[in-house]
Amino acid sequence: MPAIAHPDRNFKYWLISPAIFLLLLIGLFPLIFSLVVSFMRISMLETDRSFAGPVNFVQLFHDARLWQSLAHTALIIVIALPVELLLGLAMAYLFLDTMPGRQILISLLVLPTIISPIVAGATWRLLFDNRYGPINQILGWFAGHPVAALWTVNPRLVYPAIIFCEIWQWTPFMFLILLAALSNVDRSLTEAAEIDGARFWRSFRYIVLPAIWPVMSIAILIRGLDLFRIFDIIWALTAGGPGTMTETISVYAYVQGFQQFETSYMAAIAFLVIALLTVIVTFAVRRMGLAK
Amino acid sequence: MFNRRDFGKISLAAGLAAAMGRPAWAASAADNAVKAAQQYKGRTITIVWEAGLQSLDPTHFSGPKWKELTGMDVKVVEVATAEMFTKIMQDYKSEAGAYDALNVIPAWMPDLAQAGALEVLDPYVEKYAYAGELQTIAPTYRDNWMKVGGKIYGFPDDGDVFIMYYRRDIFEDPAVQKAFKDKTGKDLAVPKTWADFDVVGTGLTDILKDKGIYGAAFFRQPPYAMFMFEERFRNEGGKFFDADTMKAMINSDVGVKVFTGMRNENKFMPPGVEQFGFVENLAAFLQGQTAMTISWPPYGRWAEGYGTDQEALNWVPKTTIAGKVGYALPPGGHPELAAGFSLSISSTSKNKDAAYLFIQWLNSEEVSRQRVQLPYTLRDPFRDSHYSDPGYLALWPNAKDYLAALKQASQTGLLDLSLLQTDKYEEVLRQAISKLWAGDDPKTILNAAAADWDNITQKIGVDKQKAVYASWAANSGAYPKV
Repeated sequence: MPAIAHPDRNFKYWLISPAIFLLLLIGLFPLIFSLVVSFMRISMLETDRSFAGPVNFVQLFHDARLWQSLAHTALIIVIALPVELLLGLAMAYLFLDTMPGRQILISLLVLPTIISPIVAGATWRLLFDNRYGPINQILGWFAGHPVAALWTVNPRLVYPAIIFCEIWQWTPFMFLILLAALSNVDRSLTEAAEIDGARFWRSFRYIVLPAIWPVMSIAILIRGLDLFRIFDIIWALTAGGPGTMTETISVYAYVQGFQQFETSYMAAIAFLVIALLTVIVTFAVRRMGLAK
Repeated sequence: MFNRRDFGKISLAAGLAAAMGRPAWAASAADNAVKAAQQYKGRTITIVWEAGLQSLDPTHFSGPKWKELTGMDVKVVEVATAEMFTKIMQDYKSEAGAYDALNVIPAWMPDLAQAGALEVLDPYVEKYAYAGELQTIAPTYRDNWMKVGGKIYGFPDDGDVFIMYYRRDIFEDPAVQKAFKDKTGKDLAVPKTWADFDVVGTGLTDILKDKGIYGAAFFRQPPYAMFMFEERFRNEGGKFFDADTMKAMINSDVGVKVFTGMRNENKFMPPGVEQFGFVENLAAFLQGQTAMTISWPPYGRWAEGYGTDQEALNWVPKTTIAGKVGYALPPGGHPELAAGFSLSISSTSKNKDAAYLFIQWLNSEEVSRQRVQLPYTLRDPFRDSHYSDPGYLALWPNAKDYLAALKQASQTGLLDLSLLQTDKYEEVLRQAISKLWAGDDPKTILNAAAADWDNITQKIGVDKQKAVYASWAANSGAYPKV
């Protein structure tokens, strides 16, 4: 009998090499290329494509509008994220027990999350419109006189309008994730605590929260990152205005790259964002114990 | 010695003489284009066109007709106005050659020409005998929207200009006239200055508000209001830059006066006017809620109901003011030639001759006359003959007045600011206007805007921009003639 030839020990690597090559091509190459671009002078309006050194990165530190846009982003995260979390948790508790029409209600509640954010933003813009939108009309019924609130123009109203839209669209996401997490909490533990006289808050703090924390922390992380790159709703509602008052880092990067055509500077902004997010995510993963 | 104006007159006269003196057997520019294009039968040319109503021209009218005449297909790439510059530059930078012909906003021409994205058209004009008919384009458009550095880069193809529309029935109503006289001590007349406009607007709002009519409304969203600021600033005597130092001068006393005036006028306009865009303002005027407005030419056609029975225009509110509209130049008398379009050829096109012949045919006397009368597109008259075309004059009872106003506007109109990287300057203006509506102090806003303009100029290069500005400012429509 002929001896069976042993397969090449590296055969397994050959098998996975196309997939690895593809991943590198679509993942790593653009990243490296963007880094290269960020050190050049590429603008769609200039023919000069020479090496610029760290000029674009130095400019980042002198660009007040950039840091303002980061502050605007932080403001939205700091307000919207806790509200979405608390509302989502409250809704999840509400729907934890069986009730008539529960499935249908859950399906309806989740609807906003399946709408494209740019469509949601455009729709809210119409709703907030002073002339044709119903919001001012409804407020007028309560106020007893016509209300002409300019939600996308008045500096006191633009952030409430943006944050309201954001919360409307993404609280159901928190709700769905937390409902799944709460459903998996061992009821016997909470019932035992109740029998032992533990009130809701103690039961939640020492039994429910530890049980749902891994899922909840992932939800916080996902929504936090989503909020960091918030673009569509703001673009549709205010386009970053009045002035640059609601310009977030994503909006600013878009303006630089696709309206001002500063390709290299936009790449530098993108790397600043990557660096910031890497630090934040690493810190969050450690603090939340997700690495475990 | 000849000056620029004399030279223009002589050129025009020579052009007209050449056109009028053409022997009967000589072919028109449209005929020349069709005849020459027949050798390209079976080819497809791709043209970038503004998305929406504008593109119904090549998809419903000119494209099929060109196919019928030459056997060439026309592929229309519809692009939103805000994306057009980007798409054109992307195609050029990537050398993809995806586009053959282009619609270009004239203010972009210096940028596109400097980048090398546009083909120089002079050799084609000569080769296909178009020089004569080019001369019959209305002088403002011909002299200002066609060339960069003395070379032809585009054919002016859309006579965009702002016109004041007013309600004749209100201005001629004896009861309103009396009430206005009692209130202001002045005779009611269509305002010719911005000071008059404020008096008339306030007065009419006070008199007619109970009937749901306001003295005026404008589109106030920053992309539109930006044009209105540019117009009014220059009508009031403002200069954008110090021509020697290139320091921005929009924060001058004139700028502050204009900004302050713009914000104060909102008080006699409908509530929420700060959010009005093209459609909101149109709706308010067509529904009879405003006595005056300023906008592009389609408002005038739609106010008379022309073409609004077409399916493509079913979104236009039904007019309640047909037969009641008058036309005038906006206060100051020098309206903005806001935006507009020229037809150009992409320098990376692989079908340059074929594409050129298509745009020559589109732009020709014969074909453009039909195109500016298409009810569903937004192309506005831009040739001398368009303003006196018997077909157009018969479209509605007072079309004569409308065309006369457009012609007058084209003669006195002011060009959009056009520099290197114009959109950066415009973005600053748009932001400044949105801050104005948000209630910030006009002087503070304009100081910040001027500082931003100075930074942009510094970054581009003062000397480089100074040369471009000098060239732009030398155009007949850059600033009102003193």
